[in-house]
Amino acid sequence: MTDIMKDIIAAVIDGEPGPVTTAVSAALEAGEDPESILNDGLTAGMTAVGEMLDQGEIFIPDVLWAAEAMQEGLAVLLPHLAHGVSRSAGTVVIGTVQGDVHDIGKNLVGLMLSGAGFEVRDLGHDVAPEAFVDSVAHNGAGLLGMSAMLTTTMPAMTRTLELLRARGMREKVHVLVGGAPVTQGYADKIGADGWAIDATRAVVVAKELA
Amino acid sequence: MRDRTPFEPVIQLRHLSDDTKQRIFDAALQVLADVGASVSHPEGVELLVRSGCTLDDSGLLRVPPSAVERALSTVPSSFALYDRSGSQAMTLGGNNVYFGTGSDLMWQYDVETGEHRPSGLDDIARVARVCDGLPNIDFVMSGAYPTDLGPQGVYLATFLTMMRNTTKPLVLVAENEVDLGAIIDTAADLRGGAERLREAPYLLAYVEPVSPLLHPRESIAKLLLCADAGVPVAYVPAPLAGATSPISSGGHVVQGMAECLLGLVVHQLRAPGAPFMFGVNQGSLDMVSGQPSYTAIESFMNYLTIVEMAKWLRLPNWGISGCTDSQAIDAQLGLEVAELTLLSMLLGSNLNHDVGFMGFGLTGSLEEIVITDEFVSMNKKLLSGVPAEDLDLAVEAIAGVGPKGHYLGHPHTRAHLRKGPGQWRPGLLNRDNRDRWVEAGSVDLREKARRKALAILQTDPPAPLDPGLLQRADARMNTLRRETV
Ligand code: B12
Repeated sequence: MTDIMKDIIAAVIDGEPGPVTTAVSAALEAGEDPESILNDGLTAGMTAVGEMLDQGEIFIPDVLWAAEAMQEGLAVLLPHLAHGVSRSAGTVVIGTVQGDVHDIGKNLVGLMLSGAGFEVRDLGHDVAPEAFVDSVAHNGAGLLGMSAMLTTTMPAMTRTLELLRARGMREKVHVLVGGAPVTQGYADKIGADGWAIDATRAVVVAKELA
Repeated sequence: MRDRTPFEPVIQLRHLSDDTKQRIFDAALQVLADVGASVSHPEGVELLVRSGCTLDDSGLLRVPPSAVERALSTVPSSFALYDRSGSQAMTLGGNNVYFGTGSDLMWQYDVETGEHRPSGLDDIARVARVCDGLPNIDFVMSGAYPTDLGPQGVYLATFLTMMRNTTKPLVLVAENEVDLGAIIDTAADLRGGAERLREAPYLLAYVEPVSPLLHPRESIAKLLLCADAGVPVAYVPAPLAGATSPISSGGHVVQGMAECLLGLVVHQLRAPGAPFMFGVNQGSLDMVSGQPSYTAIESFMNYLTIVEMAKWLRLPNWGISGCTDSQAIDAQLGLEVAELTLLSMLLGSNLNHDVGFMGFGLTGSLEEIVITDEFVSMNKKLLSGVPAEDLDLAVEAIAGVGPKGHYLGHPHTRAHLRKGPGQWRPGLLNRDNRDRWVEAGSVDLREKARRKALAILQTDPPAPLDPGLLQRADARMNTLRRETV
């Protein structure tokens, strides 16, 4: 790996506003291939950030700051990228289900997914099945993430899945579920496509499904 | 059960100056007056606006300091809870310290098998039975969420199970004003009327706004229902430092106080003088694991400040004890239970819930409840202090024994052990020498606690309830299930 790529990776990990754009501009001037800057620089930086969090070497908000810095770099890079090079891993609609206001876990999942390159549409908490389904249709999302933190609100996930089926959309979107009372067993029972215990694992599952 | 002399520590922990407390309070008032809050309950909003709060176009409701001051002047500085039979059991306020369980845990360490498994309605019964048999547990929360029941009417079912299995006062969670209404009606039925319940409240409702600065319709509806019924209510946010509140201890407490005090204002407007409990849950988000830590040292720092603020405002306070972030019944559990519980006792914190909580509010253990009971017992002795008027300096005894003698059979020793303070006897902690301990099976604290819990479960349950009362409660349950299907 070139030093220039190392600089970009280091700047992404650091997450300060500024240095990533400088490093990306320097790489472009040095004649580096824009696609390589994306894959071996910016994206590699975010992958490293994910691994560091998993190892407990950095804090959760460091991921947010890294993702913001990476977006700045991307803005500089975008005009140089060949048309058709995908800059997004896909669109995810996410929210906490109806009757439930717990949103910290959902926010973390959203944060990690956008860090991993997904376009995240966050519908907030207490989201009705109709609102989930409308948003999936409207955004052409390939993934739907639902969070439930109360045993009493878990059935709202089933209601959303039923509505997707009723509208003939079930085959078009992968459904990911999570939250403290939700287990893999429950996800299987209600016919969801994926489940994860926490935000870092949610990214792994989302990438598998996307 | 009677309100034996309430426990009040003579050794007290305070670390904030009056000036610091004033600044924290002023900052909370500033948040209420300048930032405001979102209140999603039309009637509650109307009540607030009619008494001087303002609502702007973006839906933010701002509360002037005068409204808070007025509420503080009408709210009682103490109130009592009564047991199932109607005897006064707890006087909440001042520095009186009481302990009880927490609610809604989804998992349990099964006391018989040691297995980690989902909670059921039976666990609620077991928690209540064990608490009923422990002298230092004063009130009971469900301890478990009945994952074996459908979601309709769970909190009424929980309440009925608790009422059957303990006579101690209850602290309750409910989904909304409908199920809370059914619970209150049943409690009134037990007392022989709503007025009798108001005079001798059997329960306290635990209601939470949503940090940051959000007061959902259900939360305000439950709060107003309690105000109307004269049922004590704790309106306690759970800001997680660094996630749903500022990460600094000061910022966490300021925001949490602003949230709690808005509840106080609505509540006192609706029913001036009705019993209200102040509090802010102390949690902080672990920035590496993402877990909501109940016992991180930063959480403890938040807690010290919150309880001191309650004392300064002269409000009965909601506190916490007997809980751990540990996933095992291990030394971490012992250490965290001990530190938190001792802090509560030293602070004179009034209603300390969450005894028996493990693993970030998701797992429960009867062993932990039993261990906390023992810890409280021993520290009640410590924190009663040496009585100044009766120092018992024993100069006469020293003179009588002189050099080379001993005190074993001395009248002073006898008087102390038989008629005086005695010696605190552990129920669980080891005082045996190695050989005896090995002979007795090398039993450790966890196993002793387990055996004690099982022994309590073998004792007779409390007297059965009047079948008529239960029938009428069943009818309420059926209505509730029909309405929420
Ligand atoms: C903070 C909190 C609150 C706050 C929420 C504030 C907010 N803005 O979110 C407040 C105070 C408002 C609250 C209210 C209530 N709460 Co609450 N709350 C909690 C607490 C302590 C922490 C939740 C949290 O933020 N965790 C931190 C995050 C980071 O973790 P997480 O949410 O689990 O998310 C991770 C994973 O689950 C997963 N994940 C989450 N979502 C998703 C989605 C997808 C797609 C995927 C793949 C993964 C995934 O990844 C996340 C990140 O790693 C939990 C206890 C607990 N440990 O869960 C109780 C808890 C969930 N609450 C509980 C209860 C009972 C209530 C109330 C009913 C209490 C009351 N007195 O009214 C109300 C209900 C309000 C409502 N209608 O929703 C119970 C639930 C019991 C049950 N079996 O249903 C719990 C378990 C605590 C307890 N034992 O009492 N609560």
